[in-house]
Amino acid sequence: MTVFKTFLKVLNKCKAPLILYTVILIFFGGFSLKTNEVNTSFNAYLPDVYINNLDENAKITENFMTYLKKVSNVVLLDEEDISDALFYRDINIAITIPEGFNRDFFLGRKPKLEIQCTGDYASSLVNIYIEKYMQVANTYRVLASSEEELLRLINGNLDLKTNVYLKTSLDTEAMSKATTYFNFTNYCILAGCIFGVCFSLFSFKQKNIDDRIRISKINYKKYLMQLFLSTFVFAFFLWLLYVLLGFVLVGKIMFTYHGLIYIVNLFLFTLCALSIAFFLNQVILNKDTINGIVNVIALGSSFLCGAFVPVQFLPDFVLKIARILPSYWFIHVNELTTSLEKINLITLKPIWQSMLVLSLFTCFFFLMSLYVKKRN
Amino acid sequence: MFKHNFIYTLKILGKNKVLIFWTFAFPIILGTFFFLAFSDIENNEKLDVFPIAIVENDNFNSRMGFKETFEVLSDDNNEDKLFDVSYVLEEDVALEMLENKDIVGYILVLDEPTVVVAKSGINETILQVTTDQILSHEKVLEDYIRKNGNSRLENFVKVMMDDYSYVLDNSNKNMSYTMVEYYTLIAMTCLYGGTLGLTALNQNLANMSQRGKRIEVSPSPKFKVVLSSILASFLISLIGLFLLFLFLVFLLKVDFGLFGGHVVLLAIVGNLAGLAIGVAIASCFKVKEGTKLGILLSVTMLGCFLAGMMGITMKYVVDKNVGWINMINPANLITDGFYSLYYYDTLTRYWWDLLGLLIFIGVMVIVSVLALRRNSYDSI
Repeated sequence: MTVFKTFLKVLNKCKAPLILYTVILIFFGGFSLKTNEVNTSFNAYLPDVYINNLDENAKITENFMTYLKKVSNVVLLDEEDISDALFYRDINIAITIPEGFNRDFFLGRKPKLEIQCTGDYASSLVNIYIEKYMQVANTYRVLASSEEELLRLINGNLDLKTNVYLKTSLDTEAMSKATTYFNFTNYCILAGCIFGVCFSLFSFKQKNIDDRIRISKINYKKYLMQLFLSTFVFAFFLWLLYVLLGFVLVGKIMFTYHGLIYIVNLFLFTLCALSIAFFLNQVILNKDTINGIVNVIALGSSFLCGAFVPVQFLPDFVLKIARILPSYWFIHVNELTTSLEKINLITLKPIWQSMLVLSLFTCFFFLMSLYVKKRN
Repeated sequence: MFKHNFIYTLKILGKNKVLIFWTFAFPIILGTFFFLAFSDIENNEKLDVFPIAIVENDNFNSRMGFKETFEVLSDDNNEDKLFDVSYVLEEDVALEMLENKDIVGYILVLDEPTVVVAKSGINETILQVTTDQILSHEKVLEDYIRKNGNSRLENFVKVMMDDYSYVLDNSNKNMSYTMVEYYTLIAMTCLYGGTLGLTALNQNLANMSQRGKRIEVSPSPKFKVVLSSILASFLISLIGLFLLFLFLVFLLKVDFGLFGGHVVLLAIVGNLAGLAIGVAIASCFKVKEGTKLGILLSVTMLGCFLAGMMGITMKYVVDKNVGWINMINPANLITDGFYSLYYYDTLTRYWWDLLGLLIFIGVMVIVSVLALRRNSYDSI
């Protein structure tokens, strides 16, 4: 118990970074997991649009704006904020309806709409909407006998919608948010475990303290075992804390089999992070370098394996390199869980295989730390 | 005395491996991580060809609008190719492809066309919009025939299929938001330069080091000693910043816009701001060196966080809602200066950022001078 108490005392000195990692996780979780509504029907993507109407608000102009409001989120902004809003993707596209648009349209002059866009998927989608509307409107202009009939024909046409059937029983949006949370825990667990364990064990490793312990009446093997258990208890509480936070932030999914997979996977990764911490504790010779090493390993793994940036946005060569890191397999299991429709032995196979690889990493780092300790 | 202290401060700082790691190596390592993680992110956000399947049954083959449109939109020779289409005979095959994530969705035409997808998303929406558009064309033709019969139908179809673009694109070409991440990295390096200033100044403070005690009782002018220490740390942090710039410009191809001289000026002023904050913390707080460093690193990280280092949305949100915070945040002023050089054609915003940094430096220098002058110690 003496060893455990001392371990806790030393650990208490480095509580600030551990609290910081947890606060970042809560902040991140709260920021990205805002909605918790069950969503199992198809919802069309709504791009964010700013409209600057320089024309009179009548007939075709008004009708066009009403259409845009149906297919997108129309955002209200001050004109001087548009450039920043576009750059920071607060809006996907800014549309300027020129003066005389309504008049020119009815005169058959095919007036153009000026746009400024981000060039991403969402802005391309709005482009499609604009072209579609204008093409339909221009075609019916030839056909309609009055302006009222024209607007009626346009609206009747644009109201036609294809049936979209969502072939899943999963709440895909909520699942992907849960995955985002657990992927982010990669950074917190890795940084927290390595920093806490290395910082605490380093105090016991100092020569004068180690010598005092060796000549004391305490059984050295027993002491090492107590130290090992202390670190395990610390890692266990870290895991428990992030799981409980998961229940608060992620919600209902945590009570399903999918939630259980996330929890088990996080536990295996915590063990792996602990083994990495043991190994680093054996090779780090200067206490001042712990912070740098923690930052490089935790940030590096998180950036390369998809904890910060979604896996689908990472280049293939980065993902290939990332396979040599345990974080990759942890995040891989989370990603597989996102789309796990049915749970049976066949669908679970890639999940337990990845978990096995993660466990092999754990064994490897434990054995390496034992080897280095023995050699030292 | 000036030259002597300058050279020895250079040696002391140069041999401090931890400081050198944080000011020289860490920004480059972090920049590499940024590059690896963000190099493809913007390409992935652009509209690209995606795979779909079509159940090629009799209903589909009888709807010429559907058949022809998907042929055109999946044609390799078409510049506007949108889909990689797999034609299957059974719905089960398409469903299996959907479950295996081989396709985004599939189209099944029974009485009416249906799009089947696995989730709500932008590609799924584009697939829906495409089929909506085909339905729209069919409806236009139907309305025409109902009103005019088949007379002049060909002319009408020409009007309908006119590829005239109703959009005039005046978008800014410099829209790469990942650049801001690299700009925050430079801001971080500038402010980390403060650790050098802080360490160098601690060497001259009687309550912080043995060397400081000796300097305090020596006849050498304090101003010269402090100034030479600060200049030495400024030189080292400038070297670190220069290396980072070389790395960003030549290896990572980060774009700083067309104003080269302004970039250099901002980097130097930003570095001075970092140094000023380091010196101010060293002179104002009567605590251990580790605590001073902790304060500096915390202020730096908080500043960089608000300037968008952990997600550029944060910078925008703070700018929009609590703009005054970012107006006094040196990390943001540096980031924003580089951003305005990259994104805007005019320099007005850049000069405001630079002025903000100069005011910040002025305030820090005044605070430091007030804290350092006429110090006396009863007991140390």
